[in-house]
Amino acid sequence: MKYELKKILLLLTITAGVAFADPIPTEALTQGGLVMRDRQLRDIGLVMRGGRGGFFDIGYTYTPSSEQLQLNSKYGIHDGFAFRHHYGIYGSWVLDSISHLGFLTWFDRAGWDSQDFFFFPHYGKFAHISSAFTWGFSYTNTKFDYTAAIGMQHQNLELAGSRVYPDESDSLLFYWAHARYKNVSFQGSFYRGTFQTLRLSLDLESRELYGGVGSGFKTYLPNLNATIYRRKTNGDDDNFIRLNWEQNLYKQILYSDVTFDFPDYGFRSAILKYYPDPSRMIGFEASCMRRHEHSGAKDLLWGGSIDLLFLRFGYNSAFDYENMFHAKGTFIVEIKFHIGSVDRKFYGRGAAKAAPMETTQSQFDLKKFMKNRAEQNQGQPTIDAQGNKVIHAKGIRYEKADAVETTSSEGGN
Amino acid sequence: MKFLRLFLCLVTLCLTACMSHLFLDTSTRLQVENKTDVAILGLDVISEDGTSVQPWIKDTIEPGEKSKVVEEDWVGTFRVRVRFDKWNGKHTVSVSACETKVTPPIRVYAVLAKQSDANVIEKQASSCNDQSIDMTYAEVELDFEGGSQYLVVSEDEDGKAVFKFR
Repeated sequence: MKYELKKILLLLTITAGVAFADPIPTEALTQGGLVMRDRQLRDIGLVMRGGRGGFFDIGYTYTPSSEQLQLNSKYGIHDGFAFRHHYGIYGSWVLDSISHLGFLTWFDRAGWDSQDFFFFPHYGKFAHISSAFTWGFSYTNTKFDYTAAIGMQHQNLELAGSRVYPDESDSLLFYWAHARYKNVSFQGSFYRGTFQTLRLSLDLESRELYGGVGSGFKTYLPNLNATIYRRKTNGDDDNFIRLNWEQNLYKQILYSDVTFDFPDYGFRSAILKYYPDPSRMIGFEASCMRRHEHSGAKDLLWGGSIDLLFLRFGYNSAFDYENMFHAKGTFIVEIKFHIGSVDRKFYGRGAAKAAPMETTQSQFDLKKFMKNRAEQNQGQPTIDAQGNKVIHAKGIRYEKADAVETTSSEGGN
Repeated sequence: MKFLRLFLCLVTLCLTACMSHLFLDTSTRLQVENKTDVAILGLDVISEDGTSVQPWIKDTIEPGEKSKVVEEDWVGTFRVRVRFDKWNGKHTVSVSACETKVTPPIRVYAVLAKQSDANVIEKQASSCNDQSIDMTYAEVELDFEGGSQYLVVSEDEDGKAVFKFR
């Protein structure tokens, strides 16, 4: 009975996950490159808070049904799969005791195709596949606590079905630079001399991971960042500013993250994040997002996600809406893993504290182990039921009286 | 050995793509049979606003005949337009290649189908040369599941166009 109920619940969840799913619009796919580039630079900004150590991130979004994230083109609804594969790697080397030189690569490949895949797409006639690749070098000086990073960003359009997508630039090359002094950082990305984004971040919250305090009022200071995005409307400059405000609410395990757009739209999203441990390896979040599609309360998209280190489940979450082409009304599973390290301590993306880790002597001393065992065996001769000592032979030795040398063979013939 | 085999299987899976390729069709092989007593001039997929047209079956299907099998990447739910030579004896001029620029309908008559999604309507539209052209067609939203599909177009006793997959 219990099993039956479980089965029904599971089936209901799967049905709900597919039946209420909204198809993704073609416009969201065309905007995909911009979203990917901005997310990569934001990620890099978080890693550059320390500017040393390493960071590793890999993920693959899994949507099992072809009716889960259909494509909504002008001709109708196409069956298929939206996908997002990504990785990010940052590694650094210690030059001398205060200088760290680092190299980073970030890669995203996202889009929609009529088949799902790992490496080689199907390239259907309505597919849209694009990728963004960011790389660069960083230099960190721990004495004066500053980081400088510079690099390039390539946006490539692999395929856009000509029947439903507008013409786009095939490949674009951007430059980016990041500079940090203590907890103030500035980041910019440029295309042929004109800026694309300019971001000023004030990470006022004190972080134990980077030498700050672990508790007290300093950990309740806000993290603010303001980004100017370049936007063109009908050929005229129509730039806008996005303001993020991340606020520690309780012991660096409960945070709120609010985003506003200026000057036009105002409130964009609010996220309540709960991390059972401040190292942010596991996280739960509830989000509310304004879509600018309807008016009033109908416009708000409520959702949430659960991040379990290797798996992430999301339903209508603000992150998925933005990064999975306005996906909503369906469960999105991401097979992922990410970890950062600074000074042999590990942390999750954007964390304030390192993960609690016990250091144990992991080296196995075979000699010591064998010696201990041998001593144990020698000291305790076994005694049988009658009380006589029993000695077990470990081999049989044959000796020939006339032999010059004593030969031995173990186990007999 | 067992693990090596499993590993090789996984590698092959990764390289080809995913499991879904074994049971998912990404294209529809469509064949249309004309069971009406008028010729079908073609079958197109059209956009919701009617401004974009993607021809699918281009050859004329005489009454009682079948079209060629044409494979296209349409899997899902799409609006399909079936163009007729005439309907109920009203003969109209066939449309030219410039049909992508049709204006909204000026007069719509001979609404024949009872079901709301399949109407045979006659539309007067201007071609790219600003010449007035008429076409007689039925618009219907069809669900293409992929694979081999056989569409039968027929006319029932009330004079409505009926579309059925077989």
